[in-house]
Amino acid sequence: MSSTETRSLHSFHRDVEVMGTVITIDLYGGDARDEVITIRCVDAAELALQQADEIFSTWKAQSPLSRLRRGDLSLVEVPDEVLEVLDACRSARRASEGWFDPWSMPGGVDPTGLVKGWAAERALNELKGLDLSGAVVNAAGDIASFGGPDAGQAFRFGVVRPDSPLKLACVVESPGAVATSGTYQRGNHLVNPFTGEATSTVSATVAGPELGLADALATALAVAGPAGMGFIDALEHYEGLVIEATGKYVKSQGFRLVENLLD
Amino acid sequence: MKRVSLAFCGAVVGMVGLFGYRAVTPSMPAFATVPSTSQSSTTTTSRGNATTTSTAPPTTVPTTTPTTHVRTTPTTPTSAPPTTTTVAPTTTTAPSTVSRSATGASVNYYFGVLSVDVTVTGSKIVKVSIGSINDGGNYRSQSIDQMAIPQLEQQVLAAQSANIQGVSGASYTSAGFHQSLQSALTKLGL
Repeated sequence: MSSTETRSLHSFHRDVEVMGTVITIDLYGGDARDEVITIRCVDAAELALQQADEIFSTWKAQSPLSRLRRGDLSLVEVPDEVLEVLDACRSARRASEGWFDPWSMPGGVDPTGLVKGWAAERALNELKGLDLSGAVVNAAGDIASFGGPDAGQAFRFGVVRPDSPLKLACVVESPGAVATSGTYQRGNHLVNPFTGEATSTVSATVAGPELGLADALATALAVAGPAGMGFIDALEHYEGLVIEATGKYVKSQGFRLVENLLD
Repeated sequence: MKRVSLAFCGAVVGMVGLFGYRAVTPSMPAFATVPSTSQSSTTTTSRGNATTTSTAPPTTVPTTTPTTHVRTTPTTPTSAPPTTTTVAPTTTTAPSTVSRSATGASVNYYFGVLSVDVTVTGSKIVKVSIGSINDGGNYRSQSIDQMAIPQLEQQVLAAQSANIQGVSGASYTSAGFHQSLQSALTKLGL
């Protein structure tokens, strides 16, 4: 404990149990004297996550989204956040050339594939007023961040290796958001919106400036597989990586692996 | 599929939190967990390296907000834990080559109760493992645990060696794992 070689600039950590998982908030740098302000901002970030859960949970029968899906609420009655998210879903559907399609879900529109990233991004926004070198909101593996662990440094995030969950596949320098979607661990749960069939891609990671879109694109890329690199390459600022069951991987032109542990 | 990807695939959990660990700093969180039934404050390592004892008392504080803890880090490199009741291990002057171990509090997680053992050399985590686990014995819980736990253990170590601040990917069970790990580190004064 007296050793200082591993000292870091990590200055604050909080777990938020929400959306059926744990979302973590980590701050780097900054001034510990601002503790009151820090906690106030982190509280606001946590509240943003809890509110998103209240609005968008498909598990809670009385959430506005559940009521919209049942037809108990119309689009003019839902909270503004629902309209904002549906708008983002339309953009993501366009950007993914239809591979991300919340309107193709059975049971009515289901924006869940974008909501977690969108909510994490909102939480991150609450932290931007703090004097920090950087902040990370990790929504169960979908990560929103700004800055870095120290001035002039980017955050480095590992991507889990799907065929061997004891290892990382690679390390990427964060452009802000990194999202991974896939079929590993829980078995296949992604459906091709064009055919209705389950997909075979194992893991898809998308890195870019904003986590709501990155989250949706990762879902789309996991469904589309390597063929989805077309729509990723067509997007400015977003890069993709698909890892197949064999360990074989395909990445978009600009996806830079800081450390490649796959080859 | 979105719902599933939120709840499960997405469940990629608090891996972020895990990465706080390599960043463990001298001041520790007032961390809330289920109080361990065996809060033996002295644990020993039997793993070859020098064996020392950690005499730090349990520092987990039951509260009503069990998922939140705050780590306030002094910006100056002092080594005194200023904000909690943590008592640093009395094995003072422990050189960084000495290994110390602790068992974290037993923590409720999705499938049952678990606790985590951790071994550190200096302030570096060198081994992480499950101290005890009761997942109710049903097949589904066990199969998920078998997948998740080695991954969690490994990711803590990988996070240290790869100098990363988070992991993108899916895992489960990690909230409880990570809480218990944090409490074990707290016991070690890290």
